[in-house]
Amino acid sequence: MHAPAPVPAPVLASRRRTLAIDVLRYDPQAPASQPALQRYLLEEVDGMTLFIALNEIRERQDPTLRFDFVCRAGICGSCAMVVNGRPRLACRTLTRDLPDRVVLAPLPFFDLIGDLSVNTGKWMRGMSERLETWIHEREREVDITRIEERMEPELAAAIYELDRCVECGCCVAACGTARMREDFVGAVGMGKIARFRLDPRDTRDDGDYYELIGDDNGVFGCMSLLACHDVCPKSLPLETWIAFLRRRMVLQAADPFPSGG
Amino acid sequence: MKTIVTDVLVIGGGLAGLRTAIGARRRGHAVIVLSLVPPKRSHSAAAQGGMQASLANVTKGIGDNEDVHFEDTVRGSDWGCDQVVARMFVNTSPKAVRELAAWGTPWSRIQRGEREAVINSQKVTIAERDEAHGLIAQRDFGGTKKWRTCYVSDGTGHAMLYTTGDQAIRHGVEVRERVEALALIHDGERCYGAVARNLVTGELIACLARATTIATGGAGRLYRVTTNAVICEGIGHALALETGVAALGNMEAVQFHPTGIFPAGILVTEGCRGDGGLLRDVDGRRFMPDYEPEKKELASRDVVSRRMEEHIRRGKGVPTRFGPHLWLDITLLGRGHIEHNLREVKEICESFLGIDPVEQWIPVRPAQHYTMGGVRTRHTGESPWLKGLFAAGEAACWDLHGFNRLGGNSVAETVVAGMIVGEFISDFCDAPENNVDLPMSLARAFVAREESKLKALLARPGGENAFRLLAETQETMTRFVGIFREADGLEEGVTHLQRLLQRSRDIGVTGKSWGNNPELVAAYRVQRMVKLAITIAYGAHQRTESRGAHFREDFPRRNDREWLKRTLAFWPDEAATLPHLRHEPLDVAKMELPPGWRGYGMKNHVDHPDTAARQSEVEAIRARMKGRDRFDIQEALMPCRDKLPASLTGRNERLGEPL
Amino acid sequence: MHDGVLIAQSGLAGRGRKSRWPARLDLLQSLTGLLLALFVCAHLFFDSSILLGKDAMWAVSKFYEGYFVFGKAHPWLVSMVAGTLCVVFMAHALLALRKFPINYRQYRTFHAHARAMRHGDTRLWLWQVYTGFLLFFLASAHLYQMFFWPQAIGPHASSDRIWSDGHWPFYSVFLIAVVLHAVTGLYRLAVKWGRPGLPRPTLRTLRRLLTAFFLALGFAALATYMKIGYDHRDHYGERYHPAGNSPVDGDSPGSVPEESSSVEPSRFAGQRR
Repeated sequence: MHAPAPVPAPVLASRRRTLAIDVLRYDPQAPASQPALQRYLLEEVDGMTLFIALNEIRERQDPTLRFDFVCRAGICGSCAMVVNGRPRLACRTLTRDLPDRVVLAPLPFFDLIGDLSVNTGKWMRGMSERLETWIHEREREVDITRIEERMEPELAAAIYELDRCVECGCCVAACGTARMREDFVGAVGMGKIARFRLDPRDTRDDGDYYELIGDDNGVFGCMSLLACHDVCPKSLPLETWIAFLRRRMVLQAADPFPSGG
Repeated sequence: MKTIVTDVLVIGGGLAGLRTAIGARRRGHAVIVLSLVPPKRSHSAAAQGGMQASLANVTKGIGDNEDVHFEDTVRGSDWGCDQVVARMFVNTSPKAVRELAAWGTPWSRIQRGEREAVINSQKVTIAERDEAHGLIAQRDFGGTKKWRTCYVSDGTGHAMLYTTGDQAIRHGVEVRERVEALALIHDGERCYGAVARNLVTGELIACLARATTIATGGAGRLYRVTTNAVICEGIGHALALETGVAALGNMEAVQFHPTGIFPAGILVTEGCRGDGGLLRDVDGRRFMPDYEPEKKELASRDVVSRRMEEHIRRGKGVPTRFGPHLWLDITLLGRGHIEHNLREVKEICESFLGIDPVEQWIPVRPAQHYTMGGVRTRHTGESPWLKGLFAAGEAACWDLHGFNRLGGNSVAETVVAGMIVGEFISDFCDAPENNVDLPMSLARAFVAREESKLKALLARPGGENAFRLLAETQETMTRFVGIFREADGLEEGVTHLQRLLQRSRDIGVTGKSWGNNPELVAAYRVQRMVKLAITIAYGAHQRTESRGAHFREDFPRRNDREWLKRTLAFWPDEAATLPHLRHEPLDVAKMELPPGWRGYGMKNHVDHPDTAARQSEVEAIRARMKGRDRFDIQEALMPCRDKLPASLTGRNERLGEPL
Repeated sequence: MHDGVLIAQSGLAGRGRKSRWPARLDLLQSLTGLLLALFVCAHLFFDSSILLGKDAMWAVSKFYEGYFVFGKAHPWLVSMVAGTLCVVFMAHALLALRKFPINYRQYRTFHAHARAMRHGDTRLWLWQVYTGFLLFFLASAHLYQMFFWPQAIGPHASSDRIWSDGHWPFYSVFLIAVVLHAVTGLYRLAVKWGRPGLPRPTLRTLRRLLTAFFLALGFAALATYMKIGYDHRDHYGERYHPAGNSPVDGDSPGSVPEESSSVEPSRFAGQRR
């Protein structure tokens, strides 16, 4: 029962090539360090991702090279970096989709730890604290021995769609607004607000959300450049969410006495 | 020396660690979590399938309850688990799901009415009840009698981790990201915290705490191919082992999954084979019928994995630069089916292999998947040997999984253990007798010890290469302590690993920077990983039977008479190259479910001498109490009502079972 | 008011409930932009009436001077439109200024970002800044002209200005800037506030088509004015009289400009119509 081999041949000699991988290296902790590109030559193999390539470089060529990977399966969002100009998840980037010369740089905007490693975690935690990205429920304690509250299946699915963000930081790194406005919450932040706004378990209303994103560091700072939308590794419809939030938040402008007396 | 003091120190920021931290925080304790990575990046996020909890909401789950879940779990463990812990677990799991629901996890919900489903390759129609509409849905998973696995579409772990991570932020749990624990601070009786290293600056910190919890997940990276994240290196296990006092339990129990994509090891779901996918070899030949004429590709996980490795050993793998692999062929399922029912598989193939599984075969090979063994603890999560040391989740062996973990029980265990252990830790901290005076000189000594070890690594000029040693360790483990094990191979493996351990003491690091030095990190980690590898290999060598995922070709039967025991590994002498093993018997006379046939797999085990007596005793109790409340019967069979923390003892409401 | 000043002085502005002004300002920027963009589109259509002949253009210009309503041309009506637009324009410019890079370093960062990213919408915004910056001057000059010399609009007057007064380079640059800015602005409004059932690729195509269309229209009209101006160079300053109309005297439409255009031959191009 030999299938007419739809088998990808393991080695296609014609497609073998040597990649020139230029990494922007810099150690912010070493006073003498200067940002500079360092070139590594690497023989490409089938199915090579940047995860495989970078690890091979570190193990065989340069053990000092710094980068972050965790799940290496596109789930955890650790390995975002700028690949030939654009932020993306390195683990999900196949070298065969890249030209012979690959330029890798750390995500801008976030604190640089060294080489390709940046501190997205710190920024994301700050964002979560600032936007209070958790359910603000009616009662403090829910009786967990009781049958759970019901939810329409479509609504649960819709919330999950908004919950799929992996906080990789690509959207913020790609955001022109964020580059000029350090305190901008970014698409990731607005996505969180959209997520909790949709969730009936969260009792906050638009007035409350206005307090979080109703200024030029929030939804009104966004200049709709939509690079966030275009680079999101999870293909989240950020454009739609942000436009939606902007409409909702602008309705708050009708409130003439926001100070409540 | 920088010192920080807290009530509860949690090492590891995954689901288990975070939930433990939240529990302690809510009880009013100061908590610090040390995490290698931002907590939301933990490997918990990778759990896609779901979490087992006997909610009995879906039609196929009607009749499910704690008792059924308990039996499935014990059978799954091949009677290696602690049945009291299993009871605690099944009683808490529904609460965990409901707590997460209240916290915002978007569990997939039930749609009333009829829908199509595929069961055993057959299309069937299932009707969901009106009264169940909008409740949390369950799906089918291997080894379970009922549909019990609650899920969030294809991202259960991600959704759970984000919910829990955000709750940790809400509760003000302090997380130190990119900080790694290097050693536990202890005096041989009591654990006082840990020496931690800031991975960015290299700074060493003495973290002193009343209670210290290891929640560092699995040790998949001991193998060349694993579904685990790159941070799952078993360092938490090693921390406990290196105290020389605390023990690891059942480290030889390692689960393999048949279809990790090659070479990355990323998991593709069992559904591929369930729906009719085939395994092929280098010649394009379908080989499973040769080995398993009856069940073919659909034999159990461990059996298929074993057969695949056997076939590769016979030279039938497809050779590549990264080693041999086999093919998974789902092209015969057709585009419609793949794009509709196996969406994730298609996406993974596109993103990581650049192939379209509708038209091309998927390169696969069995991959290490789960570490059943871990830091041995009591049911409270506390180490019996080192007071103040706790463990939770995959890093722990309290011992829920025995020798084989049931699908969907791992992610459930993380939060359940967090809930339970978090309470016990709080009780521990609340008890006045557990107060400690800050052992500053002890802390100073431990920091100095770690510092000198690091300096030695940096000072050595040439020496062994850490990355190469790790690769050799992984190679050895994969080759000798993988799916198939037998005396000669294990002996060779242990010997080889011992040599590697010796060599690891001569590692030299070329890059000399003190902080932010990946090579230095690899160096001190591999030293610990080799120890752990030896512990696994040596444990496997000693256990001359097959149980669950531990399969000995030379001892293919489960042998309860000799081996209804838990392996305990100690490493008291730092200069030694072997752990000290002890085998702790499981008490058949106290088991609610005495050992027997699992209901699947081989039916040729050797009984324990006490099994028959206990079996008739159990039957007698059941007969005597016929008609009584199932909770009372359970309590009579195996008392464990007082085992859970008071806040978690309540019964679980179900549609058919009001409180 | 005093409270507000004191609170702001103490650095406590923004504490307590958040101001609603960011919402209003954002909305206002969009609304003023929308208004201006729509006006620019309409304006271009009016301008290009010259493509249909001098009579058509004459009729359009007279229409705006209220000739067909009052039976008499009132160029101050044009001044009023120009004045109103000037206010809207200034409001828009002021609001848009909030989004401009506030210093060179910011500009460099953004510029490098846009270059490296090779992302259409990001680069487009930079063009929006460039054209917007140009429009500060070009549109101001144009509005100034229209406000003070509203009567100098007509088939010959306009053509003379464009050709004989040498304004065609000004109008070429102005046209490009204003079309790019206006159409891009409309596109940006659509993505910013959302629109039903129009995916961005479609919207992008629409934007390109509209830009091309208005540029073509504008330059065709400009070329026509230049041609008329060239032909009319020897009769510089003479106003146009529609073919059907008998020559009219000073009170009537068509004859209006003579005095104003000849009275003070300033070098300011604007007045020469």
